[in-house]
Amino acid sequence: MKIKQYSVQVCEASLTDEDDFISFFDTNYNFFKNHLIVINGEMTKKVEEYLSEKDLKYILNITLPKKQPSKTIKKENHNDVEKQRCLDEKKELENQIQELAMNQQNDIKVLDTLLRSGQELKVDGDLLLLNRVNSGANIIVDGNLIITQIVDGSIRCNGNFMMLKASQKANILFHDVEVENSYLKDRLNRVELKNNEIIITPVLKETNWGV
Amino acid sequence: MGRIIAVISGKGGVGKTTTSANVGLGIAINNKKCVVVDFDIGQRNLDMILGLENRVVYDIVQVMDEEVKLKQALIKSKYNDNLFFLAASQTKDKTVLDSTKIKKFIEQLSEEFEYVILDAPAGIESGYEHTIEFADSAIIVVNPEVSSIRDADRAIGILDSKSQKVKDGEEVYKYLIINRINPKMVQSGEMLTSEDILDILNVPLVGKIPEDKGIIDASNQGKPIILDKNSPAGQAYSRISSRLCGENIEMMDVESIKEGFMDKIKGIFK
Repeated sequence: MKIKQYSVQVCEASLTDEDDFISFFDTNYNFFKNHLIVINGEMTKKVEEYLSEKDLKYILNITLPKKQPSKTIKKENHNDVEKQRCLDEKKELENQIQELAMNQQNDIKVLDTLLRSGQELKVDGDLLLLNRVNSGANIIVDGNLIITQIVDGSIRCNGNFMMLKASQKANILFHDVEVENSYLKDRLNRVELKNNEIIITPVLKETNWGV
Repeated sequence: MGRIIAVISGKGGVGKTTTSANVGLGIAINNKKCVVVDFDIGQRNLDMILGLENRVVYDIVQVMDEEVKLKQALIKSKYNDNLFFLAASQTKDKTVLDSTKIKKFIEQLSEEFEYVILDAPAGIESGYEHTIEFADSAIIVVNPEVSSIRDADRAIGILDSKSQKVKDGEEVYKYLIINRINPKMVQSGEMLTSEDILDILNVPLVGKIPEDKGIIDASNQGKPIILDKNSPAGQAYSRISSRLCGENIEMMDVESIKEGFMDKIKGIFK
């Protein structure tokens, strides 16, 4: 005996052995009581009596229209498409990020000028300065900042991180928060903002930069 | 065309005028024709240090305004025939200067002399800017203390942005003189060392001058210290002058304490 769910309200059943058929519907009566049962095969009296007794609706020997791909399968296909689309999007995003990163790199301003007292340097992007910042000089950077030589002047940095070595005279503001110089002396330090906390880590224990 | 050297410092009282007088005389002693010009309009001092107080008749403002000829205003030094002096005006102030007049004036001087030394006023105002405008090199005088160095730093910054030579895309030659070095204080760490200063200013050193009490007396008498062969500061100035004239003289170590006989005896009993 074969039984196949056609749709929510319709099921197909092949009738070969009447006892089997009756016992199956007996056990699953609750599930099938509102179904329309399409019966393939020869109808017997016993089955007919049983069906009318249980008040089950049925049709005999009709060929149901060809089944459309079932919803679950459709959904699976849909998932695949979605998955592909997501992958494509991800790839595209990755490309964009890479491009942005490349742009970011191109945006770095590299300077090797000694900043003297009274000079002011404003940079929108990132700055890599290979020379000293003397007392009385100002640097304002919106991006990240790396200074390889000692800093005596004042620094304003609003980027993700800055890397520098400062003397006692320096005045350093990172995201408008004053960074104590005593943490920055003697060696190159990385200053970054993580979870609203400023974290200072020495870059290398013994660096010759800016000696 | 002669060389035009501005003597600058930013801060006042570090020894600009003394340096101008001594370096000018030193260059003259090296047989180069030299003129020292006091550009501190309204506040002249250089005439006293050169001992020419009573000889000043005309000043540079009168020369620039073409009231008198340059020859009339030039005063010959009583110590050396190669050295001439031009006094600043004491009655007028800095605002009388203007670029076209100064350019003409300096061109005139550079035709006549091999070395033109301009004694700049202290500060970084218009008087200072006019002094450095047409200079091709600058002597920067600093004392080994932070305020002098910061002011000099600022003055160098202005020199590098406002002088005509920089505007033409060239570089102004710079020479650093560290004045009033006290060897004892350097060794005890109270005074900045020359290495620190050179690190900060990044300007080639032309000489170091030890602190010397004789300078005050020399200035009062109007006899530049360079004429005193025994004075350490005078010796330092004469080395600097020779270096500026192109001679290659080794840098002397003025920072180490020379132990005298008495110091050695004291050392034994310590």
